[in-house]
Order: sequence, then C-alpha cells, then structure tokens
Amino acid sequence: PPPVSLSSLHVDDLRVDGRGCEDYRHMEIETDVVSNTDGSAKVSLGHTDILVGIKAEIGKPRPMVPDEGYLEFFVDCSANATPEFEGRGGEELGVELSNTLYKVFNNRHSLDLRSLCICPGEHCWVLYVDVLLLQCDGNLFDAMSIAIKAALFNTRIPKVHISEDEEGVKEIELSDDPYDCMRLNVENVPCIVTLCKIAHRHVVDATLQEKACSVASLLISVTHKGMVTCVRKLGRGSLDPDSIFEMTETGKRVGKALHAPLMELLQKEESLGKKRQKVGFLA
Amino acid sequence: MLKSKTFVKKTRAGGVMKVVREHYLRDDIWCGSEVCTECKDGAPVLQQDARVESDLCAYPHYLIPDTNVVLHQIDILEDPLIRNVIILQTVLQEVRHRSPPVYKRIKDATHEKEKHFYTFTNEHHRQTFIEREQGESINDRNDRAIRVAAKWYTEHLNKAPSVGELKVVLLTNDRANRDKAEQNGLLAYRCEEYIKSLTGNPELVDRLALTSDDQNEITGSKLLFPEHLPLSRIQAGIKSGTFLQGTFRASRDNYLEATVFVQREGDDSTEVLLQGLQNLNRAVHQDVVAVELFPKEQWVAPSSVVLQDDRPSDKETEEEEAEKKLESPVLDPSRLKPTGRVVGIIKRNWRPFCGMLNQSQIKEATRHLFTPADRRIPRIRIETRQASTLVGQRIIVAIDGWPRNSRYPNGHFVRNLGGAGDKDTETEVLLLEHDVPHQPFSQAVLSFLPKMPWGITEEVNTVWVPILFHIADVSHFIRPGNALDQEAASRGTTVYLCGKRIDMVPELLSSNLCSLRSNVERLAFSCIWEMNHKAEILNTRFTKSIINSKASLTYAEAQMRIDDASMNDDITKSLRGLNTLAKILKGQRIAKGALTLSSPEVRFHMDSETHDPIDLQTKELKDTNSMVEEFMLLANISVAQKIYEEFSECALLRKHPAPPPSNYDILIKAAKSRELEIRIDSAKALADSLNEAVLEDFPYFNTLLRILATRCMMQAVYFCSGMDSDFHHYGLASPIYTHFTSPIRRYSDIIVHRLLAVAINADSTYPDLMDKHKQSSLCNNLNYRHKMAQYAQRASVAFHTQLFFKNKGILNEEGFILFVRKNAIIILIPKFGLEGTVFFENNDKPGPRLNFDSEVGPTLTVEDQHTFHIFDRVKVTISLDASNIQHQKIRMALVEPVIPGVSVALPEPEPEAKKLKLDR
Repeated sequence: PPPVSLSSLHVDDLRVDGRGCEDYRHMEIETDVVSNTDGSAKVSLGHTDILVGIKAEIGKPRPMVPDEGYLEFFVDCSANATPEFEGRGGEELGVELSNTLYKVFNNRHSLDLRSLCICPGEHCWVLYVDVLLLQCDGNLFDAMSIAIKAALFNTRIPKVHISEDEEGVKEIELSDDPYDCMRLNVENVPCIVTLCKIAHRHVVDATLQEKACSVASLLISVTHKGMVTCVRKLGRGSLDPDSIFEMTETGKRVGKALHAPLMELLQKEESLGKKRQKVGFLA
Repeated sequence: MLKSKTFVKKTRAGGVMKVVREHYLRDDIWCGSEVCTECKDGAPVLQQDARVESDLCAYPHYLIPDTNVVLHQIDILEDPLIRNVIILQTVLQEVRHRSPPVYKRIKDATHEKEKHFYTFTNEHHRQTFIEREQGESINDRNDRAIRVAAKWYTEHLNKAPSVGELKVVLLTNDRANRDKAEQNGLLAYRCEEYIKSLTGNPELVDRLALTSDDQNEITGSKLLFPEHLPLSRIQAGIKSGTFLQGTFRASRDNYLEATVFVQREGDDSTEVLLQGLQNLNRAVHQDVVAVELFPKEQWVAPSSVVLQDDRPSDKETEEEEAEKKLESPVLDPSRLKPTGRVVGIIKRNWRPFCGMLNQSQIKEATRHLFTPADRRIPRIRIETRQASTLVGQRIIVAIDGWPRNSRYPNGHFVRNLGGAGDKDTETEVLLLEHDVPHQPFSQAVLSFLPKMPWGITEEVNTVWVPILFHIADVSHFIRPGNALDQEAASRGTTVYLCGKRIDMVPELLSSNLCSLRSNVERLAFSCIWEMNHKAEILNTRFTKSIINSKASLTYAEAQMRIDDASMNDDITKSLRGLNTLAKILKGQRIAKGALTLSSPEVRFHMDSETHDPIDLQTKELKDTNSMVEEFMLLANISVAQKIYEEFSECALLRKHPAPPPSNYDILIKAAKSRELEIRIDSAKALADSLNEAVLEDFPYFNTLLRILATRCMMQAVYFCSGMDSDFHHYGLASPIYTHFTSPIRRYSDIIVHRLLAVAINADSTYPDLMDKHKQSSLCNNLNYRHKMAQYAQRASVAFHTQLFFKNKGILNEEGFILFVRKNAIIILIPKFGLEGTVFFENNDKPGPRLNFDSEVGPTLTVEDQHTFHIFDRVKVTISLDASNIQHQKIRMALVEPVIPGVSVALPEPEPEAKKLKLDR
C-alpha cells in the first residue's frame, strides 16, 4: 500500500483499521489452558496468537546470586504461525526474542526472584517459560509480554519444605495436597509496548501492513507504576533523540494504562474458579 | 466427559514433577442390581431379595464396606453368609495400594457367583466422581467418594418401581465418616455392630478382627515395648547409616532371641543378633525391620539355651528370669556377634498362622492364647466364644496388631481346619505352613482351558529321523499373561505329597491334553537327534509336532519287554536300541565326572480306602528309569545350548554350584575313619573316589557315604543367563543345563518351551520373556516355590511316617549312625529310610558322662564304656512321641550296644489286640 495514504490517515489520528494511534486491537486472554504446566496463558491480539506455558523445576542457583531463582525463556516460532518459519527459518528470530524477554523479565525489579529460592546456594526454582507463536499478525512482543504476565499470574508452584536430619543431610519434602502451593507476585511484572515510527508519527500495536511502512520501532517495557525497565530499538532505520523521547513518553502512558484492566481481568477470571467455561483452542 | 487428575510427584533425581492424567467419566456404568430398571445391565449381580437374618437391618439390603473394613475384615467378607456387597472402585484401589494379598482375596470373592459381590466403578461414573477439594486430605476425599457413591445408590434404587424395602448400608468403623454419612441421610453402621446383629450366625463374631478402638482394654496401660519410629525417620536413618534394614528371623529354639539378616550389595551381608523382648520389640518372623546396632561393648554371643514360651499366663517376673538366663558371661570375644535392637517395622509380613488354642483356665473367658505350629511365631491372643469346641483342633489365626502395652499380638480366628493328628488336617497345615498355593483353580484360570472335546486342527508334515524325543507342548495351551499363565507362574511347580498332588495346571491339561497317551493325537515339542552307534550326536533339531504314541508303557512294562527275549516286535526292538544308546551316554557322562548320589527314597504303600500308610518300600530303580533319564538329560542340555545360543541375555537356565571345600569335611572325616580317602578337587575325582570306597564286609557303606555326600551339596537353582556368569552344573558335570522335560509340573519348563519356540520361529515372543530382570524375579519365585515344595514333601513324608509308626506301636530295628553330635547320635534306618536322633541327655534326669571328640571321626564316648563312631551299626526301638500334639516326633532309644543306664531293654512283644486298633 502506498505510504501516502497511510500518512494522510495518521494526520487525523486515524489508522487503516479505524483505530487511533495509541489503541490496541481486540485482545483475548485465557489462563490455565495447558493442564500439564504449572501456569499457562493464551493471548490473541488481532490475529496474533501466543501460547505461554511455565514449568517450575528445581535447579541450582547461579553462583553470583545464591539466594535467587531465575527464569529461562524459549520461544518456538512454529511454521504454523507463518510460512517464513518453515525449516530453521524461525530459529534466529526465536533466539532474538527469547534474549529480549530474558532482559525484560529476569531481574529483581520485575519479579521477586528471591521468592524462588528454596535453599540458598543449593536449590531454587527455575521457571522455564515456553512461548509458542501460533500465528503472527504483528506486534509479537506486546502480545508475548501480556501472555507471560498472565501465565506468571496463573503459575502455582508446589510448596516444598526442607527437612534436615541429625547429620545435616537436607531433603526436599513435598506437600501431598495439590492445593498447597505458592503464587508469584506479578504486580511489578512489566508489559512491553512496541511503538512503530511511521513517517512523523508513531503507533502502538502495529499490524503487519503498518510495520512494513515503518523504518524503526522502539520497544519499551513498563511496569504498572510507569517505570521503564528496558528500552530497545528494533528495525534497520534510525530514530532522532526527540522522537525517542516522545515515543518513550507515549510508551509509558500506554503501558501504565495497560496493567490495571489486565489485572482486573485476570482476577475476575480466577474468581470464577471451577465454574469457568474453558475455551481452549477450539474457539 | 473428560476430567484430568493432577498431582505433584518427587522424582528420583530430587526434582519435582507435575503429573497430569486424563480421567474419563461415563454415564453407562450400571448399578448391577436386579431391582433396577433404568440400567441396561444384562446380568445383574446384586439380588433383589438380599435378606440376611439381622436384628439391625431386618430389611433386604446391600452392603458398602469402606476401605478399612475390607482391609481388616476380609475374613468376614469371605464368609458365604455375607452376600450382596458393593465393592467401590475407590475402595478397591486403596486396598490394592495397601495390601496386595487382601486385594487378591477380594477380587477372588467378586469372581465367585454365589457371593453376589459387585464392583462399582464409581470413579468413572459421571455422578459419583468427585474432585479433591482444597484442604482435603486424600483419605478424606476417598471417604467422601464412598459416601457420595452410597448416596447415589440410595437415590438410584429408590427410583426403581420394585425397590420394596431394599436399602443400602454403609459399613465403616471411622466415627467421623459414619457421622457425616448419617448427616447425609445414609444408613451407616460399624462393622462389629452389624456382624453382632446377625442373629442367625453368632460364630461370625469370632472372626472379627480387633480394631484399634477395642484394643485399649485388653491389658493394663503399662507399656511393655518401646515405640516404633515412623517410617520417615527410619528411611532417613537407613540412608545415613544409623539404622540397618533387614529381614527378621526369629530363633526356633529360643523365643527371646532372633537375628536380622542385613543384605548389602555384593557379599557384604551381615547378621545382627537381637536378645530380649524389649529389643525384639514386637517384630514377628519374616518382617522387614530397621535395627540399630549397639556399641561394641554391649555385643553378646548367641545363647545356647533352649527357651520355649509356654507359660500359662503372662507374669513378668518369669520373663525377667528367663532373660537373665540368656546373660551368660562369654569369655571368648570371637563368639560375640553384632547386637542391636529393633527400632521400627518397615513391612509386616504377617500371614494367617496354623496352630492350636490354649484354652484359658478361667471358665467362660473369651480371650485365649493361640500357639502357632511354627515355633518362630509368638503366641497370639484371640477372642472367641467357641473355645471349648476349638480345643484339640488345628485352627488358623491372623494377627491384627501388636500394641505397645500387650505382651502378645492380638489376632482373630479365621478358620477351623479339623482335629489335630487327622490326616487331611495335617496335610492342609503343612501346605499352608509351606506357602504352597493349593486352592482349587479359579473360574478365571479354568476359562483359558480349551473346550472339550478337543482335537488337532492344524496340518502338519512329519519327517522321519532316528531318535525323536517328545515332550507335551504345554506352552500351546498356556498363553503368556493370561490368568492360567499367572496362576501357573505363581505356583511354580506341582507339589507331590504322600497320597496327594497339588497341581500346577488344571487337571484337564496335566492328565489329558498334555499327556502323550497312546493312539491319540497330541501336540508335542520334539527334540530330534541323529546319532551314530557310539551315541555321538550328528545333528540336533527342534520342532513342534503332533504325536500319536504307539504305546504308553510304565517303566516296569518297558523293562519287561526289554528283558523278555521272546518279544521281538518293533517297539521292543527300538526300546532295546535306545537302552544301548542310553548306557553309552551314561558311561560318557560318568567319565566326565557326573555324580551318582544317593538319598534313601521311601514310598508308602497306601491303603486304597483310607489312604493310611500300610507299609513302606524303598523306591527301586530299573534300567528303563535310567534310560529315560539319560535322554531327558540329553534333551535338557541340547535345549539349554540352543536357547542360550539364541538368547544369551534372557535364557532361563539351571545351575548347580560346586560346594565350597569345607562342606566336604564331614565326608572326608567319615571316610578316613575307615581308612579311605575321598578326593574333592573335582567332581570327577569325587565320583571316582566314591566308587572306590567300598568295604567288603559292609555292603551298605557305599550308600551311606553317598547319602553323606548328598548332604554336602549345594542347592541347584534357576537363573537368568543375563544376570549370572557361572553356568556350571556340578552334579551332572555339564557346562550348561536347563529344564525342558516336564512343562506340566514345572513352570521353568514352560518358559524354556517358549524361548525354544521363539528360537525356532514356531511362536511369537512377548516383552516379559526378553526382560532379564523380570525373568530373574521369576526365577527367584520358582526357586522359592521349589524349595517350599521340597520342604512340604519332606514334612508330608515325616507326617506319614509318624502315622505309620503310630499304628505299629514300638518297633525294634537295626540302623547305622549317620552323624555323631555333642549329645546325641543321628541314626538312619535303611529299611524305612528313616532318620532319628538318640539323645543321651534328658531334661528331667542328669545325663550320662559324655566325651565328644571332633578331631577323628567325630566320636562320642558314653560313660567311658562305649565309643560311637560314624557308620556304626546299632539297634534301636522306634516309637511315636505324641506328648506335644502339634509337634509329634519319632523317638528312638538305644537297644544295642548295651550301656547300663542309657540303653533300654527290648520291648515286650506286642499284644495282638493292639494291632487291631490301626484300622480306624
């Protein structure tokens, strides 16, 4: 599509699909969709479809931070999502995405990593976050971050006790009640807002069309308080300092506004308990 | 509808895993009642008129027992009176988890048609499935599931038009569960309450197991025993090495002493000695226990005192005196053994015990002590109202528990076997005590038998070859994994007792379809050798075949044909040919060092009517016995080679380890006493020196030596070739051996048949056959059953010998000294194949002066007058000592040589009248 028509629409704060520049497309969230994970969520944003599963396993803490657990990310770009991912096509993107996610989420400002510690220096919980791209329709990062936050909210880690006998041999003991588990505090978990620079303006939640017109975009991760935890520039083009500043401000504003309704939604879903009608993948 | 069950599990590596299982719910699970019109059950199990005479439930009713009732009161549930019971899946699963033997019994009960037991799969029923709730323990959840199912039944049956007064009654001993059930409007009773209400059958009450609520009142509150540690502490202790895990073995002679056999990897196994009731701490023979070792200063030596727990009442003063007796100062530190105490029980191995009742001296008392036949089992306290009828009877009692404040374990009466000393009763006792499965085959097992009349349908090509050796093809009928196969695998072997046979497979197979009768077509597995006249095998082939036997001959008939020069028909000629070959084969085998050993084999002549033994005869061996044996050995060896060649990892073989040289000490000493030398450096040398050891004036000497040599041998065992490296069969001097020739009476042979069938592409394989660990555990069971069968057989012979001598009165016989002990000589009477002991010490009077010399012989000098050597000829009287009705013994007393004060006078000739008494 010719850039002219696009830019003309941008003037009136109106985009091809009728949204404003800071509007997200229709979003659907469902948690607890994969029963054999410890926490899972499925998010669809427009036609972008993301599934996140979290598995908690016991591992050894990193030597530098003996009293913290950690997260590991793996992004699987399945060929279902787009034909480009066929063969090893998605691999590079997958690695890039998971590295970015690691930067955004694995720090003590987003998640209380100390709560993942079982026994300092010896045992901690490692959260394996598996992100599956089911369908790509632009704005992967934002959708992924929301899915990860929802999945973390949904995560239930079995409670363990460390017992110690006379010789000081430590043993991990599990509670036999499946309801006896630990929840994560996701209050500070950030959401990613990706801003696409198109001509002189920038838009959030760019579709594939819009992305094709954009020279560069800025990824900003924002907590519910509006704190920016990570900024990255994506794309080949360059951005001047003024527009970076402008985009950061927009990102902060949009990101901050994203958290409250998201949390409200998650809490509401959980309060339904077992009565909730599961939608799953057949909807 | 699909539900998923989620639980978290710890992995062996120390990680934590979330496990999710899919769980399907259905709405086509029937209630199984005749009353119901809603369910489309074709053959409902539960009767419409489920009436039992009870003053608690006068209406017809179905019982729903909870898990603990099934676990503890299985004896009650098995009673024919208890019918129309609904066994819930929840209960069944819990029972299976907690006690496999009870699980098997309840499964067997549900298979019995007359019992009307119905298994309701409530966990898969849409309306009775429940999910575990937050904060609910798994036990609470299961109790709730039982209540929900009971509730469902109540409501479901009420919908039926012809329900009448029919109700559902929940049996539970858990008060909380009962209260909740009653709140839900269910009928719930305690098991005791219900059983006591059965006015028609008051004897059932005796069979109630004592549950923990009732135990408190039995003895005073004084705690006699230290507490058992919880399993978690035990496991931690074993891991850290503070405790040792082992099997508890009570001493046969001393009830205050036991050993714990601690198995470690490799040969590093030890035995821990335990002394005194406190240290034994309520462990019962065969339990798996955790022991704590004492420091070395407290180690003691095993006492040599014989102590039997036979006091009429439990007075503790005597206990302490008895314990003091144990403490004899030991000067020799080498006799000290690692000593310890039981800190906890890991696994109880209680089984129902046979024995007799000691009636309480107090009249009308309902609590009595029970003395088990096995001396290693403590006496058990039981409650019964029929003590007077049970006295003098052999009964079975099960242990329910052993509280800390009770001197004896508590148990309950299970079954009356019959009068003590009665032949059938005693046979039953010895089968039970030797763990020989002898119940009639269940319907499930019998259902795998072929339909009669049975005939061969497949086509077959036969090829003629010189020597064909046929064994019935049992594996054709017993297919891997079915109920018939499992039963046979569990039984392991057919057990032969005097006048009774406990079959491994149902009779239709053992004496019809798998018996190669003459002039009938039968399936066979054949081993085909081409041999030259020097009995060298040119070619060996195996094939499945069909055989139409020309003649079935007994050993004696065959022998007569061979010997009768006037017979020259085909069969006789071929018999002679085979006999010649067999003799060559035997010669070759002996040249290689195969041993010919001897044991006094005795057979009873049975009265055809009463099955009482009338006379004894020693088994006679004919040429034909040896002929068949040679070819059997040859077949076994050929098959062993073949299956090992094909399946080097999972061939089932049999080995006979060479005994350690020290085993032969007694044999060498015994021969030396007659200036003969026995060489033991190889089987060949042993065989040769045994052959040379002949005394001119003492023809029975060689047999005696061979009997002794037999006692020096190790036990031959089955093993899986992948788990062992030593295959040698010492006794047969064969590098490899297996059992192929008797698949109807040995399960090992069935496995060998299957392996061979796979090897020759005659049959398909299955996973368990190729799994060396499974194979190995099967071998363990076979070896165990084999051993127990031998013991049972010996016990049966011993019992029949006793019966025989009971009828004979006192006999006077000649015998030989087989062993010389410190205070006794063991005598073998060749005429009866009977062994007995002449004791020179008596409990009531001071014994004669004895002088034991273990260096030469060994010898025993009595009163400085006579010295007994091994193999001396003596004369003894034989009589039956029935003073202890549970342990009758053959008593021998010395007649010749005459030693004043020791030997006895010849008994008076018996009056004729006494002899008539035998014809009971």
